[in-house]
Amino acid sequence: MKEYLKVANDPMLWLMCLPVVAVVGIQAIIFSKKAFASANSVQLTKKEAKDAFRIGAISAIGPAVAVFVVMLGMMAVIGAPMTWLRLSIIGSAPAELAASTMGAKAMGVEFGGEGYGVIEYANSVWAMTLNGIGWLLFCGLFTHKLDGLRNKISKGDSKLTGEIGGAAMLGAMAYLVGGHLIAGSGNLVAALVAGIAMILLGKLAEKLPKLAEYNLGIAMVIGMVAAVLYVG
Amino acid sequence: MENNKNQAYYEGFTKPIIKTGRWTLFLAVALCFLPAIYLWIRYGALPPIGAILTGWFLIASIYGSYYFIEPISFFPILGVAGTYMSFLAGNIGNMRVPCAAVAQEALKVEPGSEKAELVATLGIAGSIITNLIVVTIAAIAGNGLMQLFPPVVIKAFEFVLPAIFGSMFAMFAVKYPKYGAFAIGLTLFLLGVVKVLPVYILIPVCVFSTIIFATTSYKKKAKQQ
Repeated sequence: MKEYLKVANDPMLWLMCLPVVAVVGIQAIIFSKKAFASANSVQLTKKEAKDAFRIGAISAIGPAVAVFVVMLGMMAVIGAPMTWLRLSIIGSAPAELAASTMGAKAMGVEFGGEGYGVIEYANSVWAMTLNGIGWLLFCGLFTHKLDGLRNKISKGDSKLTGEIGGAAMLGAMAYLVGGHLIAGSGNLVAALVAGIAMILLGKLAEKLPKLAEYNLGIAMVIGMVAAVLYVG
Repeated sequence: MENNKNQAYYEGFTKPIIKTGRWTLFLAVALCFLPAIYLWIRYGALPPIGAILTGWFLIASIYGSYYFIEPISFFPILGVAGTYMSFLAGNIGNMRVPCAAVAQEALKVEPGSEKAELVATLGIAGSIITNLIVVTIAAIAGNGLMQLFPPVVIKAFEFVLPAIFGSMFAMFAVKYPKYGAFAIGLTLFLLGVVKVLPVYILIPVCVFSTIIFATTSYKKKAKQQ
């Protein structure tokens, strides 16, 4: 094992990473409580509120397992505690690995290569930290201002807000899926098959409403299986 | 009456959410520095300030524009509460947005309504708890557990992102076929034909062009009626 990895897996470092992970959980719990408390005022029953939470929790399993797979590679280079912290908050494996690389570069060495020791690792940690706070600071400072902006555009017309939300979703997902369509091969197959499966499942869910909450998970697995079969 | 209700919702939900959202985000910013400070105190590993700033500059030159472009672009989808949660917990396009949308779809809420926002909030909160559990298990026991997965399953997870994005796109394209056709046509044109635009321009162009297209056709339709 490389010398710096002993430091990167220092048991005390887990304790230093714990508070941020805890804030993420605490915020989610506070927000849920507030949503429950306000449910009555918008005709949301307690059962529906519980269902919403449960559906979110179940739907996240597939994507979370994908994060799991990516994490392991990251743990091998930046240690388990920092991987735990970084992937519990905003950021992604590519962003964190890029930040680590830039931190090493700023110290004049290759990330994980010759001469990458404890102090170089520390600089990678600084780079990941400073990069990650960019989103947090912007959202902490300006999210409530964005709300004012949205209300100005839709002028309180909730139907228009809904249309805008749907359009924004399609724009974002078109962008996200577009690269995979152009990449072709397994990525194209996964995107197309999952999309078609979703449309068919949506039709089926009109007859079996209970199915709706599993649609995304099922469509995802069908797309993944098709892609694996295609690439062999 | 309608206005009164909106006001009650604002006072009872949105306002406290903004307060909590802000302090949790700023607290997280401060706490993020703990590992770096620990490495300094315990191991004396404090890089020269010049190296820290250089590293920051290098990475910010790649990601800096995302700090504000992503929150602005995703805001029409996530709303206030969703933005505070999603930009703290991350995994936005691949986890928070899909989970919020599935919860809304399953409970058949009217898009854009306050009820829809609460359902999205709860769906996102549920997804965050799942994510924390999985990430914690992976960090502690990941390497051992990995051997339990057959290689073909690992291989399949290489395709998880196109599968999620493809099904999410389809789910909404069924609801708004015109907007969907516009969005995918524009994206493929920009990615496949124009090719030169950097990502930090592509995301807002795709999102906001589709919004403008939708708003214009919505208003046109409203006028005709």
